[in-house]
Amino acid sequence: MRRKILVNVIGVLLAFLLGALVMLFQGYNPLETYFRLFQYSLSPGKITYTLSNSVPLVLTGLSASVAFASGAINLGQPGQLLIGALFATVGGLYLNLPQVLMIPTLLILAMVGGALWSGIAAVLKYWFNMSEFITTLMLNMIADYFTYWAITYPFFEKNANHPQTPLINQSGWIPEWGNFNTNILVMILAFVVIWFIVNRATAGYEWRISGQNSLFSRLGGVNISKNYLAVMLLTGALAGLAGGMVVMAGPHRFIKDIGANYAWDGVMIAMVANTDIVLTLVYGIFFGILQTGAVGMELITAVPKELIQVLQAVIVLIVVSGRVYFESLFASFEARRRMRERVA
Amino acid sequence: MDDIIEMNRIVKIFPPALIALDDVSVTFRRGEIHAIVGENGAGKSTLMKILYGMHPADSGEIIHNGKKVKFLDPGESILAGIGMVHQEILLVSQYTVWENVILGIEPVKFFDRLDEKKARRQVKAKIDEFNFNLDPDARVEDISIAARQKVEILKLLFRNVSILIMDEPTSVLTPQEIPELFDELKRLRDNGDTILFISHHLEEVLELSDRITVLRKGKKVGTIEAGEANKTMLAQMMVGREVIFESIRKFQPAGDVVFEINGVNYTDPDKKQRLTDINLQVRAGEIVGIAGVEGNGQLELVQVIMGLVEPTSGSVRALGEDITRAPILEKRKKIAFVSQDRANMGACIPARITENVIMTHHRLNKRFTKWGGRVLDSRQAGLFTNEVRDKFDVQMSSGEAVFKSLSGGNQQKVILGRELLLEAPFILLDQPTRGLDVGSIEYVHQQIMDMRTQQRGMLLISADLEELFRLCDRLVVMHRGKIVAELITEQTNVTEVGYLMLEGAAYEA
Repeated sequence: MRRKILVNVIGVLLAFLLGALVMLFQGYNPLETYFRLFQYSLSPGKITYTLSNSVPLVLTGLSASVAFASGAINLGQPGQLLIGALFATVGGLYLNLPQVLMIPTLLILAMVGGALWSGIAAVLKYWFNMSEFITTLMLNMIADYFTYWAITYPFFEKNANHPQTPLINQSGWIPEWGNFNTNILVMILAFVVIWFIVNRATAGYEWRISGQNSLFSRLGGVNISKNYLAVMLLTGALAGLAGGMVVMAGPHRFIKDIGANYAWDGVMIAMVANTDIVLTLVYGIFFGILQTGAVGMELITAVPKELIQVLQAVIVLIVVSGRVYFESLFASFEARRRMRERVA
Repeated sequence: MDDIIEMNRIVKIFPPALIALDDVSVTFRRGEIHAIVGENGAGKSTLMKILYGMHPADSGEIIHNGKKVKFLDPGESILAGIGMVHQEILLVSQYTVWENVILGIEPVKFFDRLDEKKARRQVKAKIDEFNFNLDPDARVEDISIAARQKVEILKLLFRNVSILIMDEPTSVLTPQEIPELFDELKRLRDNGDTILFISHHLEEVLELSDRITVLRKGKKVGTIEAGEANKTMLAQMMVGREVIFESIRKFQPAGDVVFEINGVNYTDPDKKQRLTDINLQVRAGEIVGIAGVEGNGQLELVQVIMGLVEPTSGSVRALGEDITRAPILEKRKKIAFVSQDRANMGACIPARITENVIMTHHRLNKRFTKWGGRVLDSRQAGLFTNEVRDKFDVQMSSGEAVFKSLSGGNQQKVILGRELLLEAPFILLDQPTRGLDVGSIEYVHQQIMDMRTQQRGMLLISADLEELFRLCDRLVVMHRGKIVAELITEQTNVTEVGYLMLEGAAYEA
């Protein structure tokens, strides 16, 4: 456990060091840049905003982590997020319930949308044995253009000068308590539920073991296809939830490119967290801090915010490759210690 | 006879803390067959791999022909005349014998073109020199495993190797093929070559070798002249205590039929008929053995019984109920299964020990779950892991450790514990002692006999005749997907069964 933390911390620090070298090379002051970055995202007035920004990252990260850990290569988070966002938007446009009913209804609609989209991939696998690796990627494209069409024609806001829907009914807006956007609470709830399912529930146990050795689980009496379907639906629902939250907590409408890069960042987060649920939350928030801070960094120091994307990618590369390298390094330290003990 | 290799005070530690060799010194003489014996994990292969340059030693020295040497990779050791034949055979199966032999040191003519005639002639000359019964133009994929092994040896001889390391060469051979290999090895020895022979089959070692070095848990127990050794003494040196070899069966009347296979045929997706009209019955308190050379339908039979594939026709019944197409979980209520393939079928290697122990139990026994089966009871899982540890004598630090961290023998004990505690009336044992050392084999056999006393019915698939004769009440022989003989153990012998395994028909003297 301590070793796991150490490997991650070393990886992140090394990535920052590399980022600093790049900045030095370009003639910026790395220390000031990093200071501004964290000052912007972690100052008391900003921290809840930063947390709120990391919600879609954490949710899509959880989606990818659960899928990868269970051996389902769901790479369809971008599409599932968009469809979830569209479902929540359409619900928000045509339904008008009291807030206590409206918000859960829209969240459920978003999850249904995401699950529907991943469910298509699951069904294609079940019937035609098509790999979800391919179908989820293809469905991303379809979702991209389908939602673009939906906001350009049937749900287009009249008089708008670029594709977007009208605002959803106000009862469907995620409430803000002063600075505190309550989408953070939804994220925490989702995290707790997912952690419990993966680490404590019978289903999560079967998913994890099947992800590591599906033949063994099958021989042990595990129903592989039922579990696969459950994992695909759940991870699709998580990505859909992320989409719903982006609409309901943000612009309150579906605007073109609303999905941004959240879902791909989520896949990256799952990889860097090695599908560990707690680490997914930590890295999701950490990436949120970097992305939010990037704006402030650019404002004050003129370092372009794209640098942060480079930094994220470097973190992923170093932590993922370092995991294996540091493990064997620690092991050889241990061996050398034993050797000395033996001689002594 | 003079010493050709001296290995002095070799220490090897595999990170983080596995001491594979602990101060081992051994000397090999020119022109001897020297066996290295020991249980699994005793360090036999490691010692030989250090000599061959595959692993560096952490301390100690190697003296070759009076000179201190250090081989950094197998290429260097081959140049020095030391070669190794591995357990798994590494040849290009589409190439002919001579093409495989010259691969890497091809004779060439102008413009670096392969001089095929010369190459073939050279290989043929080597084959004749050593009197190997091999056709240089045969494709490797068309020749038997034994012949492929010969090609491996020939490859080394072609590179002028005079010290030949053989890693368990007999493990891939049928009983009938072994004498030929031994004749060849003896011929090489009489030629002045040195053979280092890794094995844990004691009869073979006694028959073939001149001297024997015994390793136990990374330490050298001793080197003795084969003429002065016997099986009991070697086993005692290997295990560190006395081992019994006789049959351990006591007479016990068999009960009702608990498991039967009726007229099962199976054709695989490539349209190859793998099983033909298999009929079998297993009674309570009875062990039925399936003898056969690997690849004669045993794997397919296991797959049919466990429900991994559906038979083309026929049925599988347990306690009278047709379970041919039942979901695997249903089958598991009646069938416990110990696989030969621990890494893929028997366990989830990267998962924790506890997670491996509760598999199947978590679905069949309410004790392991709460909230109507939805949530695992981790306390019960921990208790059960300790129960398996105590009942099956597993050496482990904690149930939270990963399964991978256990030694092979302990892994098998955990699997055995999980399956035997399922309390199923029928147990399918697919080579349950494969790759285990003598001590663990004895332990597994004892557990199997206990199950027999408890009136469980068992089907034991094994390639090891000694094991089959030791445990089984009845034997059936499989050959090319058919049952070619059904025998009562007391009324047959190893020669007859061995012949049936190879030829598929009764021995006619």
